[in-house]
Amino acid sequence: MSTPAVKEHPVTRWIGQSIKRVEDPRLLRGRGKYVDDIVVPNMAHAAVLRSPHAHARIAKIDTSQARALPGVLLVLTGAEASEVTGPLPCFANPPVMQYCIAADRVRHVGETVAAVVAESRYIAEDAIDRIVVEYDPLPVVVNPEDALTSSGDAVLHPERGANNIALQRTLTFGSYDADMARADVIVRRKVRWPRSGAQPMETVGAIASYDEGTGKFTIHANTSMYNYVGWLIAASLKVPAHKLNIIPTLAGGSFGSKIFTHKVSVLAATLARACGRPVKYLEDRLDNMMSCDNHGSDRIYELELGVKRDGTMLAFGMKVLDDYGAYLQFGVGHHGNAAAQLTGPYRIKSARVDLTAVFTNKCQQGAYRGFGSEVNNFALERIVDAAAQELGLDPAEIRRRNLIQPEQFPYKIPTGNVYDSGNYEAVLDKALEMADYDGWRRRQAEARQQGRYIGIGLASCQERSVFSSTEFWFWNHEPGFALTSSPESVNIKIDPTGKVFVTLYAPFWGNSPETMATQMVAEQLTVDPADIEITYSDTDQGLMGTGPGGSRYTVMIAGAIGGAAADIKRKLLKIAGHCLEASEQDLELRDGRVSVRGTDRGMTIPEIALQAYYFRLSLPADCNSGLDARFTYDHPYTTQPSADRTDLGVFYPIMGHMCHIPIVEVDIETGRLTFLKYVAVHDCGTVVNPMTLAGHVRGGTVQGIGSTMYEHFYYDEQGQLITANFADYLIPTLKEAPPNIEVGHVVTPSPFTEYGIKGGGEGGRMGAPPALASAVEDALKPLGVRIDSLPITPAKIRDLIRAAQGQQARPRPGR
Amino acid sequence: MEQVSVTVTVNGTRHERSVEPRRLLCDFIRHDLGLTGTHVGCEHGVCGMCTVLLDGQTARSCLTFAVQADGAQITTVEALGTPAKLHPLQQAFWEKHGLQCGYCTPAMLLTAVELLSNNPSPTRGEISDAMSAILCRCTGYQTIVDAVESAAFAMKGDGR
Amino acid sequence: MKPAPFRYVRASRLDDALAELARYGDDAKVLAGGQSLIAQMNLRLIRPAVLVDINRLADIAYIRPDNGGLAIGALTRQSAVESSEVIARRCPLMAEAIRYVAHRPIRNRGTVGGNLAHADPTSELPAVAVALGATFLARTQKDQRTIPAADFFVSPLTTALAPNELLTELRVAAWPARQGWSFMEVSPRAGDYALVGVAATLRAEDGVCRAARLVYSGVGSRPIRAEAAEQGLVGRPSREATFREAAEIAAEHVDPPSDFHASAEYRRDLVRALTRRALLAALERCEKGA
Repeated sequence: MSTPAVKEHPVTRWIGQSIKRVEDPRLLRGRGKYVDDIVVPNMAHAAVLRSPHAHARIAKIDTSQARALPGVLLVLTGAEASEVTGPLPCFANPPVMQYCIAADRVRHVGETVAAVVAESRYIAEDAIDRIVVEYDPLPVVVNPEDALTSSGDAVLHPERGANNIALQRTLTFGSYDADMARADVIVRRKVRWPRSGAQPMETVGAIASYDEGTGKFTIHANTSMYNYVGWLIAASLKVPAHKLNIIPTLAGGSFGSKIFTHKVSVLAATLARACGRPVKYLEDRLDNMMSCDNHGSDRIYELELGVKRDGTMLAFGMKVLDDYGAYLQFGVGHHGNAAAQLTGPYRIKSARVDLTAVFTNKCQQGAYRGFGSEVNNFALERIVDAAAQELGLDPAEIRRRNLIQPEQFPYKIPTGNVYDSGNYEAVLDKALEMADYDGWRRRQAEARQQGRYIGIGLASCQERSVFSSTEFWFWNHEPGFALTSSPESVNIKIDPTGKVFVTLYAPFWGNSPETMATQMVAEQLTVDPADIEITYSDTDQGLMGTGPGGSRYTVMIAGAIGGAAADIKRKLLKIAGHCLEASEQDLELRDGRVSVRGTDRGMTIPEIALQAYYFRLSLPADCNSGLDARFTYDHPYTTQPSADRTDLGVFYPIMGHMCHIPIVEVDIETGRLTFLKYVAVHDCGTVVNPMTLAGHVRGGTVQGIGSTMYEHFYYDEQGQLITANFADYLIPTLKEAPPNIEVGHVVTPSPFTEYGIKGGGEGGRMGAPPALASAVEDALKPLGVRIDSLPITPAKIRDLIRAAQGQQARPRPGR
Repeated sequence: MEQVSVTVTVNGTRHERSVEPRRLLCDFIRHDLGLTGTHVGCEHGVCGMCTVLLDGQTARSCLTFAVQADGAQITTVEALGTPAKLHPLQQAFWEKHGLQCGYCTPAMLLTAVELLSNNPSPTRGEISDAMSAILCRCTGYQTIVDAVESAAFAMKGDGR
Repeated sequence: MKPAPFRYVRASRLDDALAELARYGDDAKVLAGGQSLIAQMNLRLIRPAVLVDINRLADIAYIRPDNGGLAIGALTRQSAVESSEVIARRCPLMAEAIRYVAHRPIRNRGTVGGNLAHADPTSELPAVAVALGATFLARTQKDQRTIPAADFFVSPLTTALAPNELLTELRVAAWPARQGWSFMEVSPRAGDYALVGVAATLRAEDGVCRAARLVYSGVGSRPIRAEAAEQGLVGRPSREATFREAAEIAAEHVDPPSDFHASAEYRRDLVRALTRRALLAALERCEKGA
């Protein structure tokens, strides 16, 4: 595919309006149907036995007492399940074997060892207590650095090799060594980003039933990629793909963690088939925290940035050790993702990524808002701050000197990805202005005189949108299934009365697909939003839909709706032209009516529709009855990577950008932070609904604050998850959020998308962590404190202050 | 296991049931009474998704046994508003974009109902104090405070 | 996360409750607010065989003046304490501390007695009770006794109460004239279990401290009183420099735990900071004559 043609963007009526959300009325009235709200007649309930060991062979399981409990229908071990159900799907190549119930070995605390189906969840949990398991513990690997040298029984997947290295590969882009050699200064920094995770308020669940008459499974699930790769669930169940129908439910949040939750569906379906009744399996919170298969990135970076004295950035390199946990469902796609914006908004000419991914005895990584590129943003911004420090430059100034300029777009970065458009300096300037940056620098100086520690943070970050599926496999040594499609579809039907029915093939999980689709269809067909009805299709009726994720859905559905609406508009004009005896060139569609330009002659959409449905003999000869269209819209700009991977192709070109400026005060006695101000300026191209976009900026920012200051999936040396419940895993409450996140918009439309929209769903999480880290570092600059690892808890801040002030822990008398 | 009889009035309707003593109130409301607007998030009393009004006061229904609600009046989100006319809080949440996935919304609404019934003119700080009892993973909370503030103003105007 | 089955007994009178506790002993747990109990049961951390539901015992839900001080029935809901004008007047330290207990819905159900009997070392009310020198009334089927707060809290989640004994009342003495107070706490997030809390009272005349109490939560297995720090205040000028010294003594005095959320050193930092700040706040209130 060559560079797509630049699209012209018309003036719009509905696009750009902050209409109230279409989704809300039923949610506000408590009538939204999430998976646990659905009742299938004769439904039974499942619970799982979670492994207490981080790494062990399952020597023996005695389920007899469990099965004897009244109300228990079935107890299934991994060995029994694997007789009928195969491994779970995996994007890594070669795939890493994982089963819905661990068969011979458990690889992390909380992994499912057995499942029970009973008349109620209460009884199922009683039965779980009665299962007796003999484990042969194996050596536990928790520290990713230890995983590099694991051997023998400490190896989690011995069939893959004699160690726990899941992948090791170095990719070099551009003339990295030459550029580094030209640098005046090579700035170095080591940073640590530990795992946190999406933790939406609703966990993952599925209700599966198996029809013995037809041999067909039906699954209600809150997963996402059902119309993309849902058939892989059938493959795991060892049934033909057309013997499975997946019905989407509303999801209570996802942030990526419900994109690909095949394990829960496969488990529920396996249990339903085995016990002969529909089975609901809903993760409880402990199941989810320990075994969601969606922990976030967990990385140690050694970074280097080659710069000139004047701050010009030449080359950016990293050695990254990634602790993937016990499995590898997405391969190292998180690093593919990061490669989309590896060098950020800067004119850096070359880069190197030396990646080692390891297995450890932890829940595996999955997707969490950013999918690994938010971590790259953190790493890059931290070393840019280090460079600013070393060169004596203001953090805003060093960035300004290196920002890609507006006339340079579309801009190809060293990895091969292209940035479609942008005006990064405008975003920076707007943020600085909104934040009153100069004013706060003065206040900061005054505050320092008074012994107060105010910090001004700044981060300039990319928010790529609309992923290409190539990112899942181009890091692999052997690509395996080298898919290149990631489309989105829509079906639009106008009924005989002129109402518009829109079918979506991707779910709702807190994004606003119904609102987006309504605004776009209203725009395209010039109808009133109140005349549009949105529904979600199951997989039987489903067209290809990759679903929300990677901030892609709004852009993609816009393209799909554009395509389907164009077909419908063509037919409307054709029928109207025929009925009005006018040439189609003389017709225009406006306010739901097709009229002959310059006259008052016309037909409303309902009038045309009625003709289309019932009056075949009044239509043009080559028209069939009806008024509907479907369209599958492919990624507008994807290219293949080169064979040697020095160029990864174009895979994530719809590039948004943000600048976050948090201003904080640190209480140096307690290490606690107060937000004095928070500015977030985002450029997501044309904005469909400013109100919902601001929601993603704010919501994402608070999640970013969570990962930066509060949240940590912490495993001890025995691989026990210490932060395994909501009392210890600290999701920010209202009080931890900045009271006022001031959102600014800059708009540089995309030349490649419908209306020039860019995705903004990952929002503030992409930029808040480095911005906040830099704010704390800036506040504590007089003390020489550096923030290199997260989370930045008050206790850690105190430790850093104490160390910087050279205080030793006082010797305790008598101890 | 022994069953205990409970009589609970939910949203003005009396229900008599026999339940196991250990049956959590959230499960009773959701599954025995079919009122699924009250959600479940953690089952250990931290997230607040399961919030109901018990005798007019917010309570975590995952930290209450159904048997403890015998004789009590319970209000759930289903009591707020009608299809034709939303409660002012619901209207305000809609206008101010105080929800995204909707999972915490019933709990937020009932928490706001309690706040405004005790304090019809809360400051933003008082709103924040009250609403901080419920976790939200989507919104970042700011528009929730905006919504409650807006509803308080509207409700005073109506003399509610 | 559903609780294990249990036998449920609902008491309508205090005597019935005490008889049930006598009958079941160790097998029974008291169900009052249940805000700690039910969470632990849902997690299957505990599986009591019997729950004795005392929520109908209206006789032990009260807030009464008593000899210039207060008598608070054990079943009094924490939210009733929060909104009580008589507690605000007669025991402002408790009125301030109660707002730190979790969140409003927890306080609507949770009781004073339940919180005290649960004896979490990070809880607010135990520290307040020790700071006030409160007394607890406990009853069995046959007996009644008073237990001073200083003896009530034994170790984490363990009190001096016997299995068949029910806490029925908390008694607080009259609030000394012109006594200042402050309760401060640091927790990881708003509403979380405290890392460190301090309950402080201070009475100063003509700028000289006459009496002081400093009791901490979160720094030991029970509320810890920093007597050495208190002695460092009494008879000396009440001002920042003295408070800073007292804070240092208190930080030296405690031997706090290290856990995932905070190191011992950090908890000492908090003792240092909170002590000084709480004493300053208490002094201000003392001087205001509030």
